[in-house]
Amino acid sequence: MSRNLVEIIRRHHELGAPTALEVLKAAVADHGELTDEDRRDAAARSGLPEAAVHGVSTFYDDLLAPRGERHIRVCTGTACFAATADAHVDELRDALGCDLGERSADGSVSLAETVCLGYCHSAPAVREGEVVDAGPSVVERVLAGAIRPAREPPPRSALDGPALLAFGHDWAGLSRAIATLTPEELLDVVKRAEVRGRGGAGFPAGLKWEFARDADGERKFIVANGDEGDPGSYIDKLLMEERPELLLEGMALAGYAVGADHGFVLTRSEYPRSKPALEWAVAVARRAGLLGASVLGSDFAFDVTIVEGAGSYVVGEETALLACLQGLRGTVSARPPFPAQRGLHGLPTVVNNVETLCNIPLVAREGAERYGQLSPGPTSGTKLICFNERFERPGVYEVCFGTSTRELCEGLAGGLRDGQQIKALQIGGPLGGILPASLLDTPFDFDDLAAVGCMLGHGGIVAFDETTDMRALATHLLRFGATESCGKCFPCRIGLRRAHEMFVADEDVDRERLEALLETLELGSLCAHGSGMPAPIRSLLEHFPDELGIA
Amino acid sequence: MRVIVDDSDVDVQAGTTVLQAVRLSGGFVPTLCFDERQEPFGACRVCMVGVRGASGPLPACTTLCRDGMVIDTRDETARRIAAATVELVLSELPQPPGEGTELAAIARDLGVEGELRWPGAVHERREDLRHPYLALRQELCISCGRCVRACDEVQGAFALTAVGRGFDANIAAGMDQGFRDSTCVSCGACADTCPTDAITEISLLAMIER
Repeated sequence: MSRNLVEIIRRHHELGAPTALEVLKAAVADHGELTDEDRRDAAARSGLPEAAVHGVSTFYDDLLAPRGERHIRVCTGTACFAATADAHVDELRDALGCDLGERSADGSVSLAETVCLGYCHSAPAVREGEVVDAGPSVVERVLAGAIRPAREPPPRSALDGPALLAFGHDWAGLSRAIATLTPEELLDVVKRAEVRGRGGAGFPAGLKWEFARDADGERKFIVANGDEGDPGSYIDKLLMEERPELLLEGMALAGYAVGADHGFVLTRSEYPRSKPALEWAVAVARRAGLLGASVLGSDFAFDVTIVEGAGSYVVGEETALLACLQGLRGTVSARPPFPAQRGLHGLPTVVNNVETLCNIPLVAREGAERYGQLSPGPTSGTKLICFNERFERPGVYEVCFGTSTRELCEGLAGGLRDGQQIKALQIGGPLGGILPASLLDTPFDFDDLAAVGCMLGHGGIVAFDETTDMRALATHLLRFGATESCGKCFPCRIGLRRAHEMFVADEDVDRERLEALLETLELGSLCAHGSGMPAPIRSLLEHFPDELGIA
Repeated sequence: MRVIVDDSDVDVQAGTTVLQAVRLSGGFVPTLCFDERQEPFGACRVCMVGVRGASGPLPACTTLCRDGMVIDTRDETARRIAAATVELVLSELPQPPGEGTELAAIARDLGVEGELRWPGAVHERREDLRHPYLALRQELCISCGRCVRACDEVQGAFALTAVGRGFDANIAAGMDQGFRDSTCVSCGACADTCPTDAITEISLLAMIER
């Protein structure tokens, strides 16, 4: 990330200037597409050079697709693929007479692709304006101009008493910490609780906090990563929209332990309800003295700002997320420097996943030991998982780490609907391996899933039934990978395009060439996007070799 | 602290990168997106080296030395990944790189020759030759970011930017109106650092010939 641009942004931020991305987003919302005048305006108001603003305007999905009077966004996430094999996309394209990313000649309608809307429980999903509709008849309703908001199933807990999902929020963790613990003691509790990051990598949260606490900086920040881009996952969506206080409390606790006085949440534009829900919760918390210049009457100051992204999967990577938060192109930066040393505005920053931060109030309230005992296995705390529409009872569930994947899928979620059988699962997002039905007894925990070439990731579970064409699945995943590559490192930028080209072509894929390409992606890529995309392809090669068209 | 590069001991200060240590030792690692006048970028993944104990090859330009680190610039896996990456880069260009370019030299060093294993889409031809001294040929751009950083970190003109995403990533001058109508000050730092012929200086000789 350019130090010069970051310094320009920091100075303008202190003067209350918007970021370039905020100005560009507002312009698209206002008149449907960007003009050079909008770019010049964004440059003038944000302080960014015009060229840099132009670069931003060519990066994000939301800024690229022109909008008609009706702007239809069709979800092409993996759960929607599992539901229709993309038939819903073709139907909309044909009926509207618009290709993806196009606007009709008379400007009445436009069609854009979006991944993913987080309605995986009712796939396929389509969005018009701020309304998301979903379900088997969604295309008919869109074409009739009669869309309606889809219902979202309430979260459920597989625990005797729900821990993370307990109702009634009393901010007891924050009260207890401020009244009885020094910041160092709170940090120690979180470290002893062994809270592992829930975003995918599983890095110990306490260690991240310690790095930021020990780093030099006139200010420090807490950033909640709400860019839950994994297709098939809607866990952070639920937390941000239904339990926003939990996230705010977790951020305040992180701020207290680390010595940060401000937090930012980056929400996804694909989740139009997240930002308003969080902003409402922030306003309520401020009025109650839970956020602001004197948290709970103490001399600890902490406040939170909510920022919405603009459509990019890789922005879920922490350095890209910080770039997006500052209104820059959401590309990945090499580490070091780590965000804990040089993050937002060049200052020490903790970047934690939303669910990770939502675990902190529980730790502060119950203590490290009780938190550690919530799950029987090696991993502390509980995990939120979610299931796609193929299951009988899709939704978000709170479960113990270490439960068998079969029990989760067949017991909790009731197996597949209409008597279908599970052919395979993709767990933890597009960078996770594919678990064939024969390995359903694998315990749902970090190490056990890794041992079979899969990962726990963020905890989204997408089932594919017997009708799924595995070559089409490989092509679907690689198309996503290539489209979402940020374009910074060479192996990912070119390699994912080539991998997709190999699978989309109407011919056999040469195994030797494919293996060499996958190795280059795995070992050469800068971030987990390029190095992780081969994982599901490797699983498909291992478990479904006859269905892939490999020579 | 001390590191070992290909069997020779090198004393380095904290904060030294593996690439700097290799160069201090008199060794060589190929690079594409690196320019010593600029901050390391870590994009091209061509400066891969082997490091004892690491789970895979590491990029020399953005990896910091640790005391006792054992670095192997000839590590087979590292060289294989670097060569494959350069092969991918060649596959995105509509024509082979000019003989005298850094890219061509790196391809020769890594033994990338013959038929490419992963042919596919190539960059569309798009040229801007309206500036009196600077020519931009976007189809030859490999998105190494050196020109953008030269304009930012060295010159402070901010006339260049990365554009697009994924395979369509490229560069643009100003708001894509070209060098002539951007904030370009014609310093030539971008052309000087470009490892391909994407940005070149139009020499007086060439102008006369034209």
